[in-house]
Amino acid sequence: MNLQFAKQPSYWSPYLAGLAIGLTLILTYYVMGHGVGASGAYTQLAARMLEIEAPAHAQANVYLKRYLELGTLLQSWIVIEMFGVLLGGLLGALSARRFQFQIERGPGIAAEDRLVFALLGGILVGFGSRLAQGCTSGQALSGGAVLAVGSWFFTLAFFLGGYLFARVARRQWR
Amino acid sequence: MNGPLVPNEILTPEMGLAFALIAGLLFGFFLERAGFGSARKLTAIFYLQDFAVLKVMFTAVVVGAVGLLLLGGAELLDSDLLAIPPTYLWPQAVGGLLIGLGFVLGGY
Repeated sequence: MNLQFAKQPSYWSPYLAGLAIGLTLILTYYVMGHGVGASGAYTQLAARMLEIEAPAHAQANVYLKRYLELGTLLQSWIVIEMFGVLLGGLLGALSARRFQFQIERGPGIAAEDRLVFALLGGILVGFGSRLAQGCTSGQALSGGAVLAVGSWFFTLAFFLGGYLFARVARRQWR
Repeated sequence: MNGPLVPNEILTPEMGLAFALIAGLLFGFFLERAGFGSARKLTAIFYLQDFAVLKVMFTAVVVGAVGLLLLGGAELLDSDLLAIPPTYLWPQAVGGLLIGLGFVLGGY
């Protein structure tokens, strides 16, 4: 298998980054009593958008109604946190001079095809993260840190899923 | 026992919301520094090329778990007040599998 990797930019050692994120997790639990998350923010957003378009339908949906009752978007911890993640990532990229508008892909695939893969992947992640009530941030990292059994199961399933289907996605990086 | 600060009402929920921004900033910044802004780097583990994702995740979880245990043991943190995701084995397993598939397909 011949995967072309670009010259390594100056990323942190993964262990250093892991240490930093671990400390962030500890701090977040210490302050809030819960960990970080990501997928919940999208559910909150989806619930709000549906409520604007079809309020009766949104209110009648048992699952989404719970999210609506949590308050406005600006009252949602996870939505604000997600905004912080966006900013933090941006700051990281800018300060490392890594900021670039691009559709990252291998040399052998067209941008449109890559985007189709990205959309499909996103739909699967969106659906799966709601099924699992969390994603790699909320379940694997945060749930993992408090040793939640289900979260560890999730993490195993995640890696299994990735390996099982890597073949299908490989052509994007060729 | 001060922690967790917001549930113990040492900090108000509003301050908790402000902290949400800080938590996100730190999280996002460190993730980007690890190189996780790159779909290629993120998915490389599934091609047995670059194991950064595993190293970062595992280190973070171990550091987090040990830290929380120590804080709890030193009675700086009331562990009983920590939110622990409930276990629903099938949804978490199937959801995880779907996320793994979507992750390697979409790149993020």
